[in-house]
Amino acid sequence: MTKATAPTLGDDLKRLEEIVRRLEDETLELEAALSLFEEGVGRLKAAQSRLTEAEIRVRQVLDDSSTGDGPLRTEPLDG
Amino acid sequence: MTSVEEAWTVSKLARVIKGRVEQDGEPIWVRGELVGIKKYPSGHLYFTLRDETSKIDCAIWKQVAVRLKEPLVEGSEVFALGAPRVWEEKTSLQFNITQIIPAAAVGAKAQSVEKTKQALLKDGLLDPARKRSLPPYAARIAVVTSVAGAAVHDIITVARRRWPSVELLVVNSAVQGEGAPAELVRALRIVARLDEIDCCIIGRGGGGKDDLAAFNDEAVCRAIAACPVPVISAVGHVDVTLADLVADVRAATPSQAAEFALPDRAELAPRIATAGTALHRALQNVVTVRRARLERTRDRIGAALLDQVRRSERRLLSVKARIAPALTRVVDRRRSGLQRLAGQLHALSPVAVLGRGYSLARHADGRLLRQVADFPVGAAFTLTVSDGAIAARVEEQ
Repeated sequence: MTKATAPTLGDDLKRLEEIVRRLEDETLELEAALSLFEEGVGRLKAAQSRLTEAEIRVRQVLDDSSTGDGPLRTEPLDG
Repeated sequence: MTSVEEAWTVSKLARVIKGRVEQDGEPIWVRGELVGIKKYPSGHLYFTLRDETSKIDCAIWKQVAVRLKEPLVEGSEVFALGAPRVWEEKTSLQFNITQIIPAAAVGAKAQSVEKTKQALLKDGLLDPARKRSLPPYAARIAVVTSVAGAAVHDIITVARRRWPSVELLVVNSAVQGEGAPAELVRALRIVARLDEIDCCIIGRGGGGKDDLAAFNDEAVCRAIAACPVPVISAVGHVDVTLADLVADVRAATPSQAAEFALPDRAELAPRIATAGTALHRALQNVVTVRRARLERTRDRIGAALLDQVRRSERRLLSVKARIAPALTRVVDRRRSGLQRLAGQLHALSPVAVLGRGYSLARHADGRLLRQVADFPVGAAFTLTVSDGAIAARVEEQ
């Protein structure tokens, strides 16, 4: 099975909230603040495109064994 | 109360009664004794259901009657699913039945379900404290259902609207019939082997048939309880099954299960916008705070520098005030010494001797001429006296 390694929208939102919280720390170095901000903008864009551009993926999981212990494979399933 | 002038017609009364009785329209399970069975040539079945105090006329239409597995038995106890209907012509009430099962069968089934329930209860599988909450932003959802049924389609439709970035992994399984429990257990075993699944929907859609046995099966319930991710049951039936009780969340339908499993992007868009605003405001604040700090530092440094310059200036002035008189004294001392030396120098000068009448004779090369032999006849020489020099020549010796 392939793993979903890309960050999810949930990850993006959580990270964004953390970035805003860290930016509120007045002792933060300006350079660190700027790189945090840049990361935040990236996450924001990713989150927005995840909401608008994504197309749902539907796959059927197949296992030729009768017990469900065999090798797994997937194939697209039309909704 | 209405007045005489506003009297209703009989048909209006019949219509209103019909409206009120049929308003709800939801089928109801009724238990009663079956008497007076009449089968008409049309294929419709008519009979009466009664208990100790009441009775009601019932009908089973032909299309339902032909699908009855067992013939109706006069005087038997049955469970009937139907809805009351009013015939306006006679304002007569009739219970229209769509499903009928002998009470004995229901009793046996209910008994076995109750036994399974007790077993699950004993093992703590029905404990509400076991229930896991669903992840807020599911990215991957497993769906256990029949790929031939409507459930998959319903879930996809809702997911596409609410959360199109989701990935659905469908594991096919029969959801009713004899083989269904084993297939459901197998499908749940496959789900347990999938990577990075956020939750699992198990259910069936459409049909609404009465065969819920698979969802009351002990092995199925235990497999649900053992599932490594939260499970949403979506059996799509008014009756609560044991699978519903074991599952972490019970949904009435597969569509509702998808709604529970997935956030709605329409609700999230404003949240993302808010996060963006917060981000920009935070950066603005970073800049403002640091600028203010820089200005404070600059002011402090400026003041310190100015103070230092002033102190140096004062010190310079005081040094100057002390040094000047000392310097003057040194100069004066030097000046009087010089005058004295000049006087001594003057006294020793040969020029001063010339003033007393001596003179100096020098050869053209500057050499002093001291003896007669230094003056051959015709030689030119210079004679220096007190106030100057004269060019001279030797005439004779």
